[in-house]
Amino acid sequence: MNIIINGSPTFAYATVDLEPNESIVTESGAMATMSTAIELVAKLNGGFIKGLVRKFAAGESLFINHFVNKSTQTQRLTLTQPTPGDLICHELNGETIQLQPTAFVACEPGVTLDTKFAGFVSFISGEGLFKITVSGRGKVLFGAFGGIIQRQVKGEMIVDTGHLVAYDPQLKLKIQMSGGLISSLTSGEGLVTRIEGDGRVWLQTRNLQGFASWVNRFF
Amino acid sequence: MNIEFEYRPGSTAVKITLDAQESITAEGGAMIAMSPNMDIQTTTQKNKGGGGGLLSGVKRMFAQESFFFNHFTAKDHSGTIYLGTSLPGDMINLELTGKKIFVQGGSYVASSADVHMETRWQGAKNLLSGESLFWIELSGHGNAIINAFGVIYPIDIDGEYIIDTGHIVAYEEGLNFTLSKAGSSWMSSILGGEGIVCLFKGKGRIWCQSHSSTTFGQQITPHLKAIKK
Repeated sequence: MNIIINGSPTFAYATVDLEPNESIVTESGAMATMSTAIELVAKLNGGFIKGLVRKFAAGESLFINHFVNKSTQTQRLTLTQPTPGDLICHELNGETIQLQPTAFVACEPGVTLDTKFAGFVSFISGEGLFKITVSGRGKVLFGAFGGIIQRQVKGEMIVDTGHLVAYDPQLKLKIQMSGGLISSLTSGEGLVTRIEGDGRVWLQTRNLQGFASWVNRFF
Repeated sequence: MNIEFEYRPGSTAVKITLDAQESITAEGGAMIAMSPNMDIQTTTQKNKGGGGGLLSGVKRMFAQESFFFNHFTAKDHSGTIYLGTSLPGDMINLELTGKKIFVQGGSYVASSADVHMETRWQGAKNLLSGESLFWIELSGHGNAIINAFGVIYPIDIDGEYIIDTGHIVAYEEGLNFTLSKAGSSWMSSILGGEGIVCLFKGKGRIWCQSHSSTTFGQQITPHLKAIKK
């Protein structure tokens, strides 16, 4: 499988070449164009009851798509995400990463997708009640609204709410005020997330909520 | 005429340099900046001075284009003009050599004098396709500039190809599309969130946009507040 990302960082999209019998698992609605020789099979996202919980509690799609090349030649499809922004193709070698539910775009079949309860800290910080864990071996494609900053956390790091895209599982998230009570209320930063531990984080340079509140001023 | 694109692909603007007496037609509202020696004529017609353009202006509004066209002519010596669009994204130049090109309503920016433009009803299938009901048909010879939400990339089709709704920018004569499913099963296509897709058949080039403004709109809608009364 060959994955090329073009259009970074504002309008990244992925061109995926599938060899015969290769397949890719994608988020619902991620396909933009594809060869007619590729077969699409929609599968429940990990069992019916679990899938329903995810759909109604986490706002995730009930189904995920498996695109399979059943022909004898290389076939192409392109994948995209709903928001403008960057995409990252990350190769997993047995480790686990936590993703925000909206960040997941696609993965190779060797990657296991799971939805986990993220805790109330995550919910309060605007990152949602659930998170997606990706583990196993293979490429994972995830995206963001805006550019993606990758940082190594050593000890701790403060991230504004709504900007966390992905992080290593050993990191702990805590919610706190950005400063004292008055400065937190007046600085426009409000609540922030304190990330503790050693590991990687991926942050997005824009946040949809922030963009929407700017648009709202015109209504 | 010299056409250059700047700030691609996120915030593309086109810089057009016109020789003396040369002119270009642009969609109303597209001009960002221009030399002082430009003469502007505003009509509802693609071609300057033509009469009876009211109906074609109304038809164009159905194609999500503006009612008026502006014709920019460099008067005594050469001049430059910058054109932009309201959405972030890319622009490209299509060179017309006699073959017709169908452009998604809303994606037309500008065209040179010998390009002919018609607004065409593209059939009730577009009620379901999520594309516009009216498309812009370009013919003749010359340059046409189109824009999109995201990166524009071409795909050369010979046979069949699937394009998801909301990702078509323009396609050449020789291609035609019907509404279909992704893969061989309607069940998978609908459950998998791909729903209805456009199945293109024939031989020719199609230009796709990397992102769909409709999908982005749906993404942001839950965060928007109702209009204040």
